[in-house]
Amino acid sequence: MQIKINNKPYSCEDGDTILAVCKRNGISIPTLCAHPDLLPGEGVCRMCLVETNQSKCLVSSCTQKACEGLEVLTETMGVNRARKINLELLWADHAGKCAGCKKNGRCELQNLAEAYSIDEFKFVPRRKELNSENELDMLKNNWSHTVVDEKNPCISRDSQYCIECRSCVRACKEIQTIEALGVNYRSSRTNVGTPYEIPLDCIFCGQCSAVCPTAAITEKDDTEKLEKALADPKKLVVVQIAPSVRFTFAEEFGIPAGTRLTGGQAFWEGKMVAALRKLGADKVFDTTLAADLTIVEEATELLRRIKSGKKGLASPKRSEGGPMFTSCCPSWVLFVEKYYPEYIPDLSSCKSPQQMLGALTKTYWAEKEKINPKDIVSVAIMPCTSKKYEAERPEMKTGEQQDVDIVLTVRELARLLRRKKINPSYLEDKKFDPALGSATGAGMLFAQSGGVTEAVLRTAVEKLTGEELGKLEFEVVRGEAEYKCAEIEINNTKLRVAIVHEIRNARKLLGEIKAGRAEYDFVEVMACPNGCIGGGGQPQPANQSVRKARIQAVLDCDKSMPVRKSHENPAVKKIYKEFLGAPGGEKAEELLHTKFENKSKS
Amino acid sequence: MNILTRSWDKINPLDIGSYIRQRGYEALQKAIREMVPADVIKEIKISGLRGRGGAGFSTGEKWEMAAGQNSRSDLERARGATSNGKYFICNLDESEPGTYKDRTIAEKNPHQIIEGLLIGAYAIGAKKAYIYINGNYKKQAEILRIAVGQAREKEFLGRGILGSAIDIEVEIFEGAGAYICGEETALINSIEGKRGEPRLKPPFPPVSGLFGRPTIVNNAETLANIPYILRQGAKKYSQIGSSVSPGTKLFILSGAVKNKGAHEAPLGITPQELIFNSLYGGGLETGKEFWFAQIGGASGRLVPAGKLDQPLTYGNCEYPLGSGSVLVVDKNADLKDLLLSWAGFFHRESCGKCVPCREGTYRLWEIAKRLKNNDLPLTNCNNASERDININKNHKEGQLVRGEREKDRENIEDILWTLSRTTFCPLGKFASVAWNDAIKMFGKKIFDK
Repeated sequence: MQIKINNKPYSCEDGDTILAVCKRNGISIPTLCAHPDLLPGEGVCRMCLVETNQSKCLVSSCTQKACEGLEVLTETMGVNRARKINLELLWADHAGKCAGCKKNGRCELQNLAEAYSIDEFKFVPRRKELNSENELDMLKNNWSHTVVDEKNPCISRDSQYCIECRSCVRACKEIQTIEALGVNYRSSRTNVGTPYEIPLDCIFCGQCSAVCPTAAITEKDDTEKLEKALADPKKLVVVQIAPSVRFTFAEEFGIPAGTRLTGGQAFWEGKMVAALRKLGADKVFDTTLAADLTIVEEATELLRRIKSGKKGLASPKRSEGGPMFTSCCPSWVLFVEKYYPEYIPDLSSCKSPQQMLGALTKTYWAEKEKINPKDIVSVAIMPCTSKKYEAERPEMKTGEQQDVDIVLTVRELARLLRRKKINPSYLEDKKFDPALGSATGAGMLFAQSGGVTEAVLRTAVEKLTGEELGKLEFEVVRGEAEYKCAEIEINNTKLRVAIVHEIRNARKLLGEIKAGRAEYDFVEVMACPNGCIGGGGQPQPANQSVRKARIQAVLDCDKSMPVRKSHENPAVKKIYKEFLGAPGGEKAEELLHTKFENKSKS
Repeated sequence: MNILTRSWDKINPLDIGSYIRQRGYEALQKAIREMVPADVIKEIKISGLRGRGGAGFSTGEKWEMAAGQNSRSDLERARGATSNGKYFICNLDESEPGTYKDRTIAEKNPHQIIEGLLIGAYAIGAKKAYIYINGNYKKQAEILRIAVGQAREKEFLGRGILGSAIDIEVEIFEGAGAYICGEETALINSIEGKRGEPRLKPPFPPVSGLFGRPTIVNNAETLANIPYILRQGAKKYSQIGSSVSPGTKLFILSGAVKNKGAHEAPLGITPQELIFNSLYGGGLETGKEFWFAQIGGASGRLVPAGKLDQPLTYGNCEYPLGSGSVLVVDKNADLKDLLLSWAGFFHRESCGKCVPCREGTYRLWEIAKRLKNNDLPLTNCNNASERDININKNHKEGQLVRGEREKDRENIEDILWTLSRTTFCPLGKFASVAWNDAIKMFGKKIFDK
């Protein structure tokens, strides 16, 4: 089928929206509610309006399907007038406190306001703190219902900034099937929020904050905590950087996703270390090393399960155990604890890499360096909002000390650096502190969905067969599919693995297992799209093509690493030899494993 | 010509017997015993009956769309249909200001609606029918509930209607009293337990409606016409009223007219006749002088004295009939009161889904309040206040500051422009109609005082 856009013919498929055709052909159309990760919306922002030959009214291009004989004009006087008026109306309903806003310079509403020169307030702003009695008088009928929710460690909501685009509502429902957010009230009081306006109580994956065009839903800001720790001369600030972060961090500074740097260490690792040092961090460690530890521990746990026969039993015999589920994604763990507590015994008891490294820093490393663990502030730079919650879990303690004290998302760190006028682009690459050693390619794979499985397989298969793997890549577990399963033959037994990302797929998988339609030995679940590289704390905007570029970067990085199997990491071997004993041993159990708790409300 | 009001005073709404004595449920019996569903639809199509909710879509054609839907098609399954069967819904959400035709019918002759509803459900093959009534109409809901109970006893509804193999359940569903829930997809959302917000169309309800199933939503007054059509024949009905939209209509006269209330008149009647004929309005109240009339509730257009001779029909006409209410405004009325009342209504009733309606109706109301109080716009409260407050003071002391008022005028123009062209559903457009007319007709009066 062919349609005409701005008098030029374009071919399109049945069911394409005008917006989709325009996007494909590089015709820009402003929109605030059509996030590419979400299903086609209902056109609530009325920004993507266009003129067609089929309707007297302007139509929203995100809902209007292409049809034979359609002619579209995207930039007429009328279209621009409509966009401008609607934007002005929206702007007056927005806090407009740009200078101090978390999203300043990264706000889609602000960008549009700039593009359409919304330079004066035509209407009395109605989302504003009141400063004087006169204002109070003027605004008394302009009442706008504002909800601020800071009652969880991960996500902050402030409806002053909300433009009711409902992207968060849709993300929560479509991607995660949690439906924690909805719409309250009507008319000008319409507000996006939780049912009965209770504090947000979800799995804290942060996908709502990843799709929010403004600062209405953001990661909770812990930059001040970090600044305070850095300023305290008595504290030793030890920072760890998650595997996925180095592949995305550059995007915060205007470098397109997946861009390779010529020569030197992979990607922005060196720049990040340099920036953190410049910020004042005393030590910078690589979480990837702990990812290697996680793999060794998890593979040991898996092998133990397989040997004891507790494997692959479908739901009717639940008491005998089901597949082993990964537990490195805190949102997934929380999801199981809240909604499927019967699967808690099947979660791997391994802590996540963040918590393992935190524990080791305050024990192994502190002992070695003769530092009082109380003086260590353990900081993690993560792709994830949920990690903030994980760090606060009461189980995540070694002695009196919380394993990790402060968690910053990629966005927060970038914001802090911008505030401090530190641009990593201009810094010389620095290396991680060697104290704990370096990482392997297997650990790097943690950054994306399927990576944990591949890394575990590299270790588990070698341990099972006792032979060295010829080919390291397990292509069957790679790819962007949302629900992957594979059978790997080892010594005539079949290891059945499944990999899912996004909770909606996890829910599907649990349903299959429960119904006895599927049996697996090992299941990897990541709550965010494509795993951590699509995490709720990653740079915006994220979409399928951005994530694809990030994944490629991760795979290339794995390939370039000198050591690509976790159990062969000399640093890991050293830590076991000097401190932990054997994988799955008593000390490892104490420091590297954790417990889960039934948190369901029924 | 009386169709709807014929037996109002001869019937006890709480007694089905009195309705039956007036040939009630004869049409239902005829439909079930003598006609196949396709015949019923054909008959309604021939009658030319058009929906009385305001849009005036052909009722027969609408029914045909739903009747033609196969049950449980792959398409529906793909759309997430969660139940089998089809649904027939009577829309009694009536919330248009100045309109109370549907609830008057429900109050005076509830069985007329129920009979029409049952015939409709039979025609499209629905086993479940709803009467969706505005939650504020407690009395009418109770009357309907009693009527449904009595009809069930007489085997007019429920399992095995009149000894046939046809089952139709009727449920009275009380909404929460939102104007937007009169829009059929918002109404469907409301029954499903979701927010009362319009859905994206297509798919239209006859294809995919309640719980993803083919659904017909008909206005109560539309359904009240059905028994007559089947009893007297479509031919006879089609000769009543105007040729483009046959039948009679309940008009609600209010304002400065002498005989206020519900009047049944054939379609095609002119406002002139409705207001001044002694059969209907009987002219204006003594001492009052006609200024303009508003046809179709708060979302209707304003008709000046010179245009009262346009016939009121469903079809292409300059002054759409809408819900059929006529507000007569006399020259002593305060236009700013009216503007505020219109804006206030649409502001309150906007569902909040799309930007221009949510924000536009709010701003319109804000400006209407200012106009009413003769205040001047306060454009930016950051640097408010003293300057603006002084201006306001001066203004109130009689000094006119033209530039400031001009800003309001521009803003109103912008808002009306976007409301009438860019909103998700017609509510936004409705909010702009009367204002647009008022500004065109009396702009000077609004802004220059």
